[in-house]
Amino acid sequence: MILKKPWTLLIIAVAFLFCVFGLYWRAVSQRTLQLARTLRTKNSPERIVSLAPNLTEILFALGLEDKIVAVTLHCNYPPAAAGKPKIGTFWQPNIEAVIAAKPTLVITLSFEQQKNLAERLRRIGYNCLTINIEKVSELFEAIDRIGTATGKQREANQLVSAIQKKLNRLASLVGTRDKVRVLWVVQREPLRVAGRDTFVNEMIELAGGENAIGPTVYKYPPIGAEQVIASGAEVIIEPSMTPEDLVAQRDKAFQYWNRFENVPAVFNKRIYVINGDIVSGLGPRLYEGVETITRCLRPELFAD
Amino acid sequence: MSAIIEVENLSFGYTPQSTVLRDISFVVMPGTFLAIAGPNGAGKSTLLNLLCGLLSPRSGTIRIDAAPVESYSTEALAKKVAVVWQEFIPVFGFSVIDTVMMARTPYYGPMGFESEADREIVAEALEATDTAGFALRPLGSLSAGERQRVFIARALAQNTPILLLDEPTNFLDLKHQVGIYDLLKTAQLQTGKTIVAVTHDINLAAQYCDEALLLGADSDYQCGPAGDVFSTEQITRVFGVKVFTGKVGKEKFFIPLGKFAKDNGQIGASPNS
Amino acid sequence: MNGQLTAKKLAVRTASGLVVLIVVMAVCSLVGAEKVSLKAVVDSIGLREAVSPDYEIFVRVRMPRIFLAAIVGAALASSGVVCQALLRNPLADPYILGISSGAGLGAIIAVLSGLNWTFVGRSPIAVFAFAGALGTIWLVWFLGRLTGKFHVTGLLLAGVVVNTFFSALIMFLTLVAKSQQVYATIFWLMGNMIEEDFLVLWLGAGCVVAGILALFYIAPQLNALSFGENDARSMGVNTARTHIIAFGVAAFITAIAVSLSGLVGFVGLVVPHAVRLIFGPDHRQLLPMSGIIGAIFLVVADTFGRIVVAPAQLPVGVVTAIVGGPFFLVLLIKYGRKVSWLK
Repeated sequence: MILKKPWTLLIIAVAFLFCVFGLYWRAVSQRTLQLARTLRTKNSPERIVSLAPNLTEILFALGLEDKIVAVTLHCNYPPAAAGKPKIGTFWQPNIEAVIAAKPTLVITLSFEQQKNLAERLRRIGYNCLTINIEKVSELFEAIDRIGTATGKQREANQLVSAIQKKLNRLASLVGTRDKVRVLWVVQREPLRVAGRDTFVNEMIELAGGENAIGPTVYKYPPIGAEQVIASGAEVIIEPSMTPEDLVAQRDKAFQYWNRFENVPAVFNKRIYVINGDIVSGLGPRLYEGVETITRCLRPELFAD
Repeated sequence: MSAIIEVENLSFGYTPQSTVLRDISFVVMPGTFLAIAGPNGAGKSTLLNLLCGLLSPRSGTIRIDAAPVESYSTEALAKKVAVVWQEFIPVFGFSVIDTVMMARTPYYGPMGFESEADREIVAEALEATDTAGFALRPLGSLSAGERQRVFIARALAQNTPILLLDEPTNFLDLKHQVGIYDLLKTAQLQTGKTIVAVTHDINLAAQYCDEALLLGADSDYQCGPAGDVFSTEQITRVFGVKVFTGKVGKEKFFIPLGKFAKDNGQIGASPNS
Repeated sequence: MNGQLTAKKLAVRTASGLVVLIVVMAVCSLVGAEKVSLKAVVDSIGLREAVSPDYEIFVRVRMPRIFLAAIVGAALASSGVVCQALLRNPLADPYILGISSGAGLGAIIAVLSGLNWTFVGRSPIAVFAFAGALGTIWLVWFLGRLTGKFHVTGLLLAGVVVNTFFSALIMFLTLVAKSQQVYATIFWLMGNMIEEDFLVLWLGAGCVVAGILALFYIAPQLNALSFGENDARSMGVNTARTHIIAFGVAAFITAIAVSLSGLVGFVGLVVPHAVRLIFGPDHRQLLPMSGIIGAIFLVVADTFGRIVVAPAQLPVGVVTAIVGGPFFLVLLIKYGRKVSWLK
């Protein structure tokens, strides 16, 4: 009965035209997108935007400094990176700023916000590389991929070999001694540590240690006093985001940890506050980070 | 002339086990003012709901203008029957004229707006109920009596041959009670409307209504001219209350006599007719 | 507003409203974290050479986003009008019948399932949220009818029960999920305006506009329903049919809005009231004007969220609450005397 009314035919016709128009406009839109994309990349020098500090470090290490046109506010190493134009924070990159930098290549990590951003950029015709760096093996892959994408394969291979050589040397230095139990404290109040499913854990193992905390559900779980005592940690490492005056910070740490006098690390006074910058992510300074950890676990190896 | 409302062997109950109305039959001729009175719980409001199609009878038929109520679409029925319900203040502040204008909903064109004709009818209804003076005020700012007149105006604006009212003078003072009945009677006499009003007020009903339906418990009902139905025996029996019947000119009035009535023997314990 | 509504008055007001909306949308497109010069944008139109980043930002990022905000704002505001009318409750909003928790549940299930396919360029979250929203409305409708046909209180209660139950489910699933997935869900639930594929926006706009037109068609019936079921029926309104159409359409456009942008609160509650205070309660006017003003409100709120802590962004749901609250208070003080239920 509804179909008999003339209104219905009119409505159906309008709806049909509406959809057709939408499809047509979209086709046009896609074509202009492609055109803009080709124009952007053709005959133009490489312009790279990096959305993470470790990605920036890799780019610098591959000798791409002058090709980098924008980085995040958190990219502060090497020092030259701090001088580059910024496109927002690591957690909330601003898509408009990225576009304003006219990039030919945007490199992002693969966690949720950045993956979404990369998707959005690809949808409007930008070239994006999304890289997952959560394991050491993925780091080497990442360096390789970035090298391929930027025509720096040779430099990439060299970088990877250099890091691997240094790590192997460290591994033979450490040898097959007993693993040192390490508690990696990312936050004191409330107490949060790095769990086994993290890149930090890998670095600890490369340095000849093992995580004092067993497998957990969360990557960086909050823990209670019980678990601290049960962990039997021999070494406590706290990465610090403020690298000035690590000595004073270490004193403060001792004051805090003294309440856990039964933990081996505490009564052996093996509590270390290290520069958090080199252990905040997996990047070219991987070896430096692992070496720093090894110094905490086996100071005797570096007595010279 | 055929009846405009015909009720034949009507039975109804809210649940399969209970019965509120049993085998009721009566007719209402066009242009009549019918009062439906009776004790609480006898089923007066239920009967009204059945007459306007809100409820369906369990058995029996109700015919409006010779067609069964069920056969009308909601819109078609709204052009035959207008109802004034018990008071309801809408949550959102509609003005008086908006409210009355809503009665024209069944007559709107496809875009849903009023025509000039609709506006005229509404203006007439406002005049007739003496509510034009506060046409633009929100409904909630009026007194109960004024509001009731607005709802009657709305029912009048609906321009239907039949007007049903559910206890229109509840909560109103004497002046407004009389005012409402005057209004209804005028509508009946001037436009030939058929009016059916459920009421608690027997005296005013006796004064204004031509016919009455006295509905007692267990569907013990009487329908006929008001003068006949409203008698001392009927009222005493149906309401279960001692009543004194008096007369002023041609008007009968009934005064209930309770335990503490001051009859010094002058009026007498036994009622006269 | 004094005087009565006529078709002409309404047409004039709607047209002016649309003009204001277009102007607001244009102005807000030029405002943002990055400076975009109108001249650069205009110059780039139709160009075969490289387009300027201004043009790219304007056309590929800002305009879709603002368009999205307008669609979502219009959908939520219109839906809010209908919910308040049907439930005869000034505190009703489009989410009251469980749509919000249903959509949230759909979203978190999508995230947990780890599915990666897209549907017309939409992520699984959007699709599941849409399905969740509609499924929940159906469930609430079904439960509400158990208390008697179209009994309004029954619907409200069913909505509250379903909302509570689903919220508990969401909380439980959040505990079980991995942290990244939790983040994705919460981010989505906070409401966000991200530029979408053009076709998605176009179809979404079509659905929402069609929905608002359908609701406008039954606006006189909504007016009558404000007086209660009995009054409405005796005035010739087919209450059953009106309920189904109104709820169905309102739920549909709300589900579309929610699947496009997550849960944006406040718009569906405040805008109908604001418009009612200025223009009166006649739904024939309330519906289109709420749609337009809802669109304007959300576009402005989103722009606000984009510039106030640039380059970071405030979630639009936060902005609507911060902006909407005091604004509504001002309106209430100024026009409150006209509203009868405030006596």
